[in-house]
Amino acid sequence: MMGARGQAAPAVSLIGGMPFGVETFSFHDLPPAGDAGLIPTLIDDMKFAGLAECEIMSGHVEPMGSYATGWWVATRRAPGYAKMREEARRWRLTVPMDYYRNIRKQFEDAGLRMYYYNVNFNETFTDEERDRTFEAARALGVDGFSSSTVLSEARRLVPFVERHKMYVAMHNHNNLVDPDQFATPASFETALAMSEYFKATLDIGHFVAGNNDPVDFIDKHHDRIVNIHIRDRKRNNGRNMPFGQGDTPIKEVLRLIQSKRYPIRCYIEYEYGSFQSSRDEVKRCVEYCKEALAS
Amino acid sequence: MIIRWITFVSLLVTVAAVAQTPAAKPDAGGYPAPTAKLERGRTVYVISSCHFCHGVDLTGAAMGAADLMHLPLVGRDEDGNLIGPIVRAGLPNLQTAMPQYPDYTAEQISDLAAYVHYLRQEGRYRELTAPGEASAGDAKAGAVYFSGAGKCGSCHSLSGDLAGGATKYKAEILRQRLLRPGPDFVSEGASPGIVAHLKLLERYGDGDVRNLLAYLQAAK
Repeated sequence: MMGARGQAAPAVSLIGGMPFGVETFSFHDLPPAGDAGLIPTLIDDMKFAGLAECEIMSGHVEPMGSYATGWWVATRRAPGYAKMREEARRWRLTVPMDYYRNIRKQFEDAGLRMYYYNVNFNETFTDEERDRTFEAARALGVDGFSSSTVLSEARRLVPFVERHKMYVAMHNHNNLVDPDQFATPASFETALAMSEYFKATLDIGHFVAGNNDPVDFIDKHHDRIVNIHIRDRKRNNGRNMPFGQGDTPIKEVLRLIQSKRYPIRCYIEYEYGSFQSSRDEVKRCVEYCKEALAS
Repeated sequence: MIIRWITFVSLLVTVAAVAQTPAAKPDAGGYPAPTAKLERGRTVYVISSCHFCHGVDLTGAAMGAADLMHLPLVGRDEDGNLIGPIVRAGLPNLQTAMPQYPDYTAEQISDLAAYVHYLRQEGRYRELTAPGEASAGDAKAGAVYFSGAGKCGSCHSLSGDLAGGATKYKAEILRQRLLRPGPDFVSEGASPGIVAHLKLLERYGDGDVRNLLAYLQAAK
């Protein structure tokens, strides 16, 4: 189910023996969606940061931004949204799979690897579109999806993950008010019980902002967590901070995964404020993790 | 509303001063701001990661974040009195919660709000001088706005300071002067008239400027 799908062996970026990568959202200053320079810039940025693998956002693969595909409820109310969403759907249903294979080739030629396709499944997807998105993921060569989704959509996805035999890893934020959102251990556990093909992408910073304990959660559910997003937030819906300055126990999490040899990939997600370029800051985050595991 | 017809000479001086300013280089948080207060505000805006969701220049709001360029609340804000409480408390109920910044001082909130207003004024000026805004307006609606919601009549009159203005300037220049008769940012010591115009720049509704122009031009 989770093999490498026949890709050429890419370089790996190990820190303390653990595979590190990046959520491509971290590169905030990439060319806009659909720009021919986006993937080459992303590849260059990953090399600059010394990271060989990534979780790639759909907005970095598809020619339309993520906002066009329905995840943001507020965006659905915007003028012109329905037309934009329909155009995005039509593109997904008609684009040749070679489009995705070409992106995969660019990564492989650079010795890099996309492990997860970050698609935010939501109720605006048609079933045909869900099927097509799984086919796209296979053409990209990823192991599975990481998805900021909701429990109600997870229920819809069960037959799709079973049919395509490809996992969807639920990604959390920290909205504690909406019970449909992934934000608590209970929300993850509800989804994980729906299908063996449901996994977790635990964002340890958001988890802490929601006043949860990532160390405890990882220790308990390590066999269902495919990767973590490393960010540093303060508790009580606190802000994103440079690594080491917030309340997120980054060192403890990394040492836990390292010491217990959990097969969890560790992905940087840069979102604190800075006047420096994103790739400089991603590199700085990597250096923090190196020091955390070396000390 | 106040419209002071800037003399040709003063306009030339302004243009010359701008031309001599070395081109500022942008960083990940946009371009350096033109005053110390606004630059402090930019620092708060960027270091708080506001730009990732609300856009470096308030355009391209992402991740379901509010469009601060057009949100009426921002237009009504005075020195952070409406923006500040939201920033301090955050918005935990949003789909992806906006973080809280409870420790920001009154000065930081004031600086942040000033910077947001500056970005909004810049953005609204660009929008309101776009080619699509050149279509004909409704002079009657402009008259209503002039003496009503715009409060233009409290400082100006067509028979006084504005007499003959519409014949002096081409429509496009008239539009620019109406929107921004002086500096394009609020600085210390800025006249109340300039401040009023920049505030108004944030509050014009759809068609207000076209209608005002039609009213001024009809009066020539």
